[in-house]
Amino acid sequence: MATALSPPEPATRALPRRTPYRFGSPLRKSQRVAGYLFVLPTFALFLAFVLWPILYTAYLSLTSWGGFGTPRFVSFDNYSRMLSDPVARRALVITLVLTGVTTVLLTFLGLVTAVLVNAVWPRVGVLVRTILFVPGIVSFVVSAVLWKLIYDPNIGTLNRLLGAIGVDSLQHPWLADQKTVLPAVVVVTVWGGIGFTMLIFYAGLQGIDPSLYEAAAVDGANTVQQFRHVTVPSLRVVTGLVVSLGLLNGFKAFDVIFVMTGGGPNHASEVLGTYLYSLAFGSTSGSIPQLGYASAFSVVTMVLCTLAVIAQLWLTRRANR
Amino acid sequence: MTRRPWLGRSFATFVLAPFCVLMAFPFVWMLLTSLREQNTIFNGPFLPRSFTGAAYQEAWTSIEFPLHFWNSVWITSVTVAGVLVFATLSGYAFAKLDFPFRNTVFVLLLTTLMMPSTALIIPLYLELKSLGLLDTQTGLLVLYVSGSAPFAMFLMRAFFQTLPDELIEAARVDGGSEFTIFRRVILPLTRPGIATVVIFQFLSTWNEFLIANTVLRTTDSLPLQPVLFTLMGQYSTNWPALTAGLTLSVVPVVIVYVRMQRQFVAGMMLGAVKN
Repeated sequence: MATALSPPEPATRALPRRTPYRFGSPLRKSQRVAGYLFVLPTFALFLAFVLWPILYTAYLSLTSWGGFGTPRFVSFDNYSRMLSDPVARRALVITLVLTGVTTVLLTFLGLVTAVLVNAVWPRVGVLVRTILFVPGIVSFVVSAVLWKLIYDPNIGTLNRLLGAIGVDSLQHPWLADQKTVLPAVVVVTVWGGIGFTMLIFYAGLQGIDPSLYEAAAVDGANTVQQFRHVTVPSLRVVTGLVVSLGLLNGFKAFDVIFVMTGGGPNHASEVLGTYLYSLAFGSTSGSIPQLGYASAFSVVTMVLCTLAVIAQLWLTRRANR
Repeated sequence: MTRRPWLGRSFATFVLAPFCVLMAFPFVWMLLTSLREQNTIFNGPFLPRSFTGAAYQEAWTSIEFPLHFWNSVWITSVTVAGVLVFATLSGYAFAKLDFPFRNTVFVLLLTTLMMPSTALIIPLYLELKSLGLLDTQTGLLVLYVSGSAPFAMFLMRAFFQTLPDELIEAARVDGGSEFTIFRRVILPLTRPGIATVVIFQFLSTWNEFLIANTVLRTTDSLPLQPVLFTLMGQYSTNWPALTAGLTLSVVPVVIVYVRMQRQFVAGMMLGAVKN
């Protein structure tokens, strides 16, 4: 009944209230109207602030635009420019390499720690899970600033630790050297992500039928063989999930690199996200924003993310077969 | 799993212990640094001998920490509330109501679920600019709610799907309007789902940096994350104040995590699995 709390729903008023609902009966009008009304707010926001931006950025990627006046249509010039722009090529390669390396590390370390956590005493397991998970719940800004201090060349903790244990020769300007900046970024990303992948694998481990291990033990399989032939195959779906999440997070990487290095030194840690950001919102010298060219990187990022989702669907389907 | 569980457990603990020390080290170090005296950062001993809360006082007053903290609280609360309203309504409709084009619309929402904000930041910025909402918290809130609602809808839909259809049919026979059924019968049964969405949304909004940093310019309206970023530049040598700011910004997240660990983990898992 329409109480003071429920808003008027004119469409339902006219309907007879007490018709018995039968399954498979034709659509009831009240349900249809309610369905539309319930979905409308979300869908309207989605159209305005998700779908439209996607289409708009795809359009902008075919234009040359500084933010004022009308965008000038240039067809696929931005994309061919991308191929001849050394920084762009480098950013693409770095994005793919960083994504690949972190995904492999996160998957491998996540699986190993999950198996170990599953093997320790339950109370120790809870403690370990908490310790591993906390780096993943603080913001990327916090972890990036924290690690930037750790990596600091002069008074950073890492260099001081190395000095304290007597290996001064290993001291290094970690984020200022083109050779070490990417490993340094990988460490921060893995540090922040491992708790989460560990947890996904851990949940997957709980779902494995213990009788499988018993059967394997009866057949004389040792721990390593059990891991290889029972644990790993049983976790295929979960692994696909972890891998695709790793890919997604890698392709959209921004915060950690933006805060820690800004893409430097000399673009050595530039990824698609940071490069498009600097092109559009120009961190340097008040140059004219290159919104068209930057949008082309948005499109590339979206394509990569879509591929990651497709990869996951494919992995899941293959694993379920 | 093994014939000698004690041995396996000791071995696993032995391997995990140093790993945990490494993982926890940055936070321990953050706390220790925030409690140091500024003049011991450069040439003092590695482990501080004396502790002081001066850095917290400095961070609290000189960067107007309370102001930005409340900006974060306000922005996060409104986003969580907005997302919750939109997501429960639409999630319920997609799970339990039958209407034409339901699946088409659902799939459309689904396919764009994974679009990262890095890829959308340019059009979103331009859109807010043309709407005159640039550099307003309202504009930021609109982007937050619309960006998060589809995913939260997806989570809520999964929860609503676990409810039996007979429940809704019985309520219909009793003559409730669809909204009354939703409000009085369905929502109270979905508390765990709502808790999950609230926690998930709280975290992602509290920690969001890119959009807030791009859309907002006026210092007074900034939430914590962009402020911490600028702080890094301003306080590049005042590490106690900097780490004190970091620590203070993390406190709400840790409190929520510790108090609601179970729903929290469930939410994160669900979020991942449903992707």
